[in-house]
Amino acid sequence: MTRRSLKLAATSALALVTGLTPALAQMTEVGPGEGALSIVAWAGYIERGETDPAFDWVTKFEEASGCKVSVKTANTSDEMVALMNEGGFDLVTASGDASLRLIAGDRVQEINTALIPSWGTIDPRLQNAPWYVVDGKHYGVPYMWGPNVLMYNTEVFKEPPTSWNVVFEEMTLGDGQSNKGRVQAYDGPIHIADAAQYLMFHKPELGITSPYELNEDQYKAALDLLRGQRNLVSRYWHDAFIQIDDFKNEGVVASGSWPFQVNLLKAGGAPVASVIPQEGATGWADTTMLHVDSEHPNCAYMWFEHQLSSNLQSDLSVWFGANPSVPAACTDGRGMQTAEGCTANGLDDFDKIRFWTTPVADCSQGEDTCVPYYRWVSDYIGVIGGR
Amino acid sequence: MTTQTPAILPERGLADRLTALFWRHPRLLLAVLLTPPLLWLGVVYLGSLAALLLQSFYSIDEFSGLVKQEFTLKTYAELFRAQNLDIIIRTLVMSAAVTIGCAVIAFPIAYYAARFAKGKWKAVFYLGVMLPLWSSYLVKVYAWKLILAKEGIITWAAEGAGLSMVLNAILSIPGIGGNSLSTSPLGTFLVFVYVWLPYMILPMQAALERVPASMLEASADLGASRAQTFRTVILPLAMPGVIAGSIFTFSLTMGDYIIPQIVGTSARFIGLAVYQLQGTAGNIPLAAAFAVVPIVIMVIYLMIAKRKGAFDAL
Amino acid sequence: MTAAVEFQNVSRHFGPANAPVKAVDGVDLTIAEGSFFAMLGPSGSGKTTCLRLISGFEKPTGGVIRIFGQDVSDIPPNRRNVNTVFQDYALFPHMNVRDNVAYGPMVKGVDRRTREAQAEEMLALVKLEGYGDRKPGQLSGGQRQRVALARALVNEPKVLLLDEPLGALDLKLREAMQDELKALQARLGITFVFVTHDQGEALSMADSLAVFNEGKIAQIGTPKEIYSHPRTRFVADFVGSSNVLAPEVTRAFGGPAKWASLRPEMLRVTAADGVALSGVVTGLRYLGAGSRVTVAVNGTEVAAQLPAGQAVPEAGAVVGLAFDPSALHVMEGER
Repeated sequence: MTRRSLKLAATSALALVTGLTPALAQMTEVGPGEGALSIVAWAGYIERGETDPAFDWVTKFEEASGCKVSVKTANTSDEMVALMNEGGFDLVTASGDASLRLIAGDRVQEINTALIPSWGTIDPRLQNAPWYVVDGKHYGVPYMWGPNVLMYNTEVFKEPPTSWNVVFEEMTLGDGQSNKGRVQAYDGPIHIADAAQYLMFHKPELGITSPYELNEDQYKAALDLLRGQRNLVSRYWHDAFIQIDDFKNEGVVASGSWPFQVNLLKAGGAPVASVIPQEGATGWADTTMLHVDSEHPNCAYMWFEHQLSSNLQSDLSVWFGANPSVPAACTDGRGMQTAEGCTANGLDDFDKIRFWTTPVADCSQGEDTCVPYYRWVSDYIGVIGGR
Repeated sequence: MTTQTPAILPERGLADRLTALFWRHPRLLLAVLLTPPLLWLGVVYLGSLAALLLQSFYSIDEFSGLVKQEFTLKTYAELFRAQNLDIIIRTLVMSAAVTIGCAVIAFPIAYYAARFAKGKWKAVFYLGVMLPLWSSYLVKVYAWKLILAKEGIITWAAEGAGLSMVLNAILSIPGIGGNSLSTSPLGTFLVFVYVWLPYMILPMQAALERVPASMLEASADLGASRAQTFRTVILPLAMPGVIAGSIFTFSLTMGDYIIPQIVGTSARFIGLAVYQLQGTAGNIPLAAAFAVVPIVIMVIYLMIAKRKGAFDAL
Repeated sequence: MTAAVEFQNVSRHFGPANAPVKAVDGVDLTIAEGSFFAMLGPSGSGKTTCLRLISGFEKPTGGVIRIFGQDVSDIPPNRRNVNTVFQDYALFPHMNVRDNVAYGPMVKGVDRRTREAQAEEMLALVKLEGYGDRKPGQLSGGQRQRVALARALVNEPKVLLLDEPLGALDLKLREAMQDELKALQARLGITFVFVTHDQGEALSMADSLAVFNEGKIAQIGTPKEIYSHPRTRFVADFVGSSNVLAPEVTRAFGGPAKWASLRPEMLRVTAADGVALSGVVTGLRYLGAGSRVTVAVNGTEVAAQLPAGQAVPEAGAVVGLAFDPSALHVMEGER
């Protein structure tokens, strides 16, 4: 409390509002709904049938709980963190590279899993995942997970590529032309992990054990790989729809991507497919987290239960090309998803996927030995700038 | 008949009373007229600028992303990191190139409009210059992405005209070329020039219009060639307009964050860096420090322009 | 003697060919070298267009213009050794007075030292020593006029063109400048071509003048010829505002049945008894150096100028009019 008081005395009105509210203690019971719920989410995560009438997992919740849902779409993890720091929202569907930052920044509160009846149905592999559980405390409820796949053009690649080398190293592709200028990479610092994962497989002598925990030497090797990639990449992608356009009009034939773009391009008749190559893939596992100053905690807890027990898990996994956190959603017919669909989305590849998590200095290699995230941010800007 | 009308007309109500009040106290009217805009300027505009400046002296906790509200110059020191310096220089070079490109293209258009266009053609000119401003900026930029794409109109036209060699030669120039126009710095330049051109043409045209025709005749009369007249009379007299236009194109390019996101190599520009740092990375102090850079550059630019006598003809 | 400027059937038409605006319409003109030539006429009469044809800012649509015997059809303005003093002076606002004056030599490649010396010399000629560092905006109208003059003369032109140069000056300054211009011309011996709509200015300054009307020259001659022997009603009316008499009125005044002019100062107002001409005073105008009396004679209003000191009749009075018969000038043309 003293730290907060000092801050209060020293700073602006904004800090006054946020700093005055003491961190809420863990909820002990779910009361009646407050009538509203605001969620920061990835595009396509909270559908109420407006994009496609078949995909709606909000309307019924609103009818049952009386909580009116409003959504703020965010495009990157960094944006989500910024929005939560700003405040005024109840929930966020945070990926692993945002969740730990939110916890460390006191932006989210601990969840009482006992208040969520369907908690037990969650995939056991996710129930205590390190990207949202700190010191045994749960700071959220798993939402959805999926791999970052390698999307490729089926006319250029007669056989699915077996390695990420098509986007990391210059080579001649199946159509006899170089891959230079025809591949893309993600315009976010977390892409450094993709490079590290590639090195983990091809340069075991570096001793990388996790692509998110890199010491200086390992980090340097990853950046060098990315600097080489800069010569192959004409433009990095950060907006799913611009990547879709680039596959259509810019002659891009291979890139790390999300099942979302693959599905949309396929639906539009484009000759693309996706694969998880031999090196494995990074992936995202998103967690719904509750803001520390949430004004609608009862509605939020109702949403937690809804997100696990309704058609949401099943239909969202079809819609986004991802995997439900509740395995039963693949098979019990609560929505449109099927066992085959889950397999196609990579449900069985869980062990191949290294989920996004925020790199920190104190890692399994020792205290202050790993390169922390802020350097990933500035160095990646440098790499894209050709440095 | 004249005896019927009084020497002093009766007061007709509030409007007349106010007129009398303002007549007796001329400064009052000025104060009434100026107070709202000055408040707006002072509080909203300068206030937010001051808040920005203040933010730039804070720093960010890199892990949690929260702003540490303690005075430090650390954030400014960060600007001089190689990759950030790259961004500043890249933006500066692009802004200068766009400004020169706009000036070169705008001058003949503005000159024609100011000197020769009359009546209907003047209307056509204004319409032609303003029309692109009416459509959505985003639509224009996305349209340009398609025009410049590898499988876009320009490539197609170049193939049709047998100029693919030329296009490829241009695209292979290091520094400005790339895999396609849409992914090259040249493409970014073209879109910037297109989008900001009206902001150069209009002030230039206004400045040229104010140059009396007799000035040009006097110059020719005294023996000057067209080139000499341009250099010694037209350009200096049009300079305030060119400077005004260049302030627009220069600062708009420096602040833009949409175009380099959609067309170009993904390499960051100041505007994009500010957008990402404040919007997605939550690093408001560094964003603020970046935002101060264009202000400083513009101040220096104006000071140089003034010293060079660009405003002498005002 | 060579002609400084010669026009042969020169026309300048604007607008569409089927309905042209004939700004200048078949003008023949010869300006003698070393003369002070005035082009006089109301606005829109073509006099300024003629000046611009000489300087080259306008191209003739027909006819030939020669400057010192050379056809200048294909010579652009910057190669004609002819300089203009513009009506608005057209001084370059971004240059100081010295640079303005040195502009001509500058564009011709004269080195800085020489051209600045020339400029100072010219400024001395127009009595503006020490004004070299000022900007045109800091000068009065008369001073600007002198700078414009110096800027033109520094080039040692063969012909100096002046487009209403005194129009913007007040009366006193205008008269002083008239004298100065005249003296300057006499001293330099350069041919001056002077455009004005002020007939007094034209008459007092020019060696010879051309009166323009509707794109044509109505009369050309010395001031005295034009004043005392106007060839047309227009000239008579425009130069010195003569009484223009219709043929039947001329006969009543004792002349032939032709158009004639009679200068107001040639008329004397007398008692009404025993004179051939009499009428009623309809208007009186006090002019300072005399008065002008309008008398209605058989329905025709005639103006008579009375010298100062003479008794002025009252309005409505019946007066007689007398004049020397030789003052009645019978005109050849009607218009």
